[in-house]
Amino acid sequence: MNETPALETRQLVYAVENKTILKGIDLRVEYGEVLGIMGASGSGKTTLLKCLCGLIKPTAGEVWVEGVNIAPLSERERMPLRLRLGIVFQYAALFDFLTVYQNVAFGLERHRRLSQKQIREIVRERLAWVGLEGIENLYPSQLSGGMRKRVGLARALAMDPHIVLFDEPTSGLDPVNAYQIDRLITRLNRELNLTAVVVSHDVTSLMRTSDRIVMVDEGQIIAAGAPADIRASEHPKVQAFLRMASAEAL
Amino acid sequence: MREELVWLDDESARRVSAWQASLEFVGALGLLLFASGRTLLQGRVEGRETVHQMAFIGAASAPIVALTSAFTGAVVTLYSASLLTQAGGGSFVGGAISLAMTRELAPILTGIMVTARCGSAIAAQLGTMKITEQIDALRALAVSPIQYLVIPRVLAALIMFPLLCMIANFAGVLGGWIVANAFGITLNSYLQSIRLLTEPFDLIGGLIKTLAFALIVTLVSCQQGLGTRGGAAGVGHATTRAVVLSMVLIFAANYFLADLLFANR
Ligand SMILES: Nc1ncnc2c1ncn2[C@@H]1O[C@H](COP(=O)(O)OP(=O)(O)O)[C@@H](O)[C@H]1O
Ligand SMILES: [Mg+2]
Repeated sequence: MNETPALETRQLVYAVENKTILKGIDLRVEYGEVLGIMGASGSGKTTLLKCLCGLIKPTAGEVWVEGVNIAPLSERERMPLRLRLGIVFQYAALFDFLTVYQNVAFGLERHRRLSQKQIREIVRERLAWVGLEGIENLYPSQLSGGMRKRVGLARALAMDPHIVLFDEPTSGLDPVNAYQIDRLITRLNRELNLTAVVVSHDVTSLMRTSDRIVMVDEGQIIAAGAPADIRASEHPKVQAFLRMASAEAL
Repeated sequence: MREELVWLDDESARRVSAWQASLEFVGALGLLLFASGRTLLQGRVEGRETVHQMAFIGAASAPIVALTSAFTGAVVTLYSASLLTQAGGGSFVGGAISLAMTRELAPILTGIMVTARCGSAIAAQLGTMKITEQIDALRALAVSPIQYLVIPRVLAALIMFPLLCMIANFAGVLGGWIVANAFGITLNSYLQSIRLLTEPFDLIGGLIKTLAFALIVTLVSCQQGLGTRGGAAGVGHATTRAVVLSMVLIFAANYFLADLLFANR
């Protein structure tokens, strides 16, 4: 494993005017692992993810992305660093006025010196990775929720990031589609050695995909470890969360 | 300089006074103007997007601008012709209408019609992009929303507003002529008085006004769209505010520009 971690936060705090959303998060993501971040809705998972990729600026603390502390940097300075990370948004956030092809090609056309032919080839390949072929000319509104998420993943993968962040990749999907997304994450991790951070409240899915899980509650990490450790945790809030999740699954 | 303040990190439902809200609005607008200017000076222009917006703001607005201007020219002539012909000044009708159109009516009508048509659409589109995380997705792909969304709209408006204003002038004078004709004014005397009473600067001054209006509509609408918070209702609020604020600022700017450009003429 590499000396510098893929991602690291130190005493990360994020506060808005009347509320502290993240209260001192210490997190370390090693290259090649799948880290699951588990927590109830409103616990601050999305906010943590957006701090990790520099979409929002932490109030205090440090965020290290591949050895660079992005916390003090300005929007302009952070811009190029963001390309090292791919982000898959909760509702895919596809550009709804562009076709699937234009969505996946978006970053390539702006940041890589490639011919149209090379771009077409990359787009086709990334769509094939996520199991979608022949939908290049459709608009996002013509796709199902599961397809949209996979196009969102293809768009993130187009820029060849080392790390991909997933915000609730399975939420809103039926069990079959959710399972397929989980398989996809695992496969990309194994075959491309992709580092993945998966944020979710879906316990089943996280247990399936993650090498390690941290549980976030009210902006703090209350437990961390391998899936089995989390399951065996005696922290009452972790226990309560797992019980609720398994009750829901029945 | 925090460019990201334009699209707001903090979405807490805060209570602010009207005074503070206005200050924040002026601040955000200034910030967007500054960031746009800087991006324009150093960044590349998204050509395809700009052409797209030119079609949307310009070409598609031309019919409605022409139509409203023609009716406005007609109604102004209706009053002025009946007054002037009674006073024996029928030969001034053409000049009166062309002066009113070039200096005031054509620029204002262009500003208002484009605000109604495009300002609302810009705020709604950018607002929807904001609440569905498409703005974040842009930034995640290292593309500045200012470069990709704001600059093309501002540039397109700056190019198309003067053209629309020319169309408005032409349509207004034409509408005026149709009514003047009914009052028995000959085409010759109509055109003659236009030449006599309007100077090139009346036209140029009017076109200069539209440049200010173009900046107002696009910057206000983009700022309201990017600053949207709170779901679908938020998009509705942003759209309404974009239209209202644009209109108020256009009328205010119109007064000061008229004072600056035409007061001593
Ligand atoms: N930009 C923001 N401004 C104000 N409050 C926010 C903002 N983003 C998130 N919050 C609040 O912070 C809490 C955590 O949000 P979030 O990170 O989206 O949680 P999760 O993704 O775990 O559901 C929520 O209560 C939410 O209302
Ligand atoms: Mg969330």
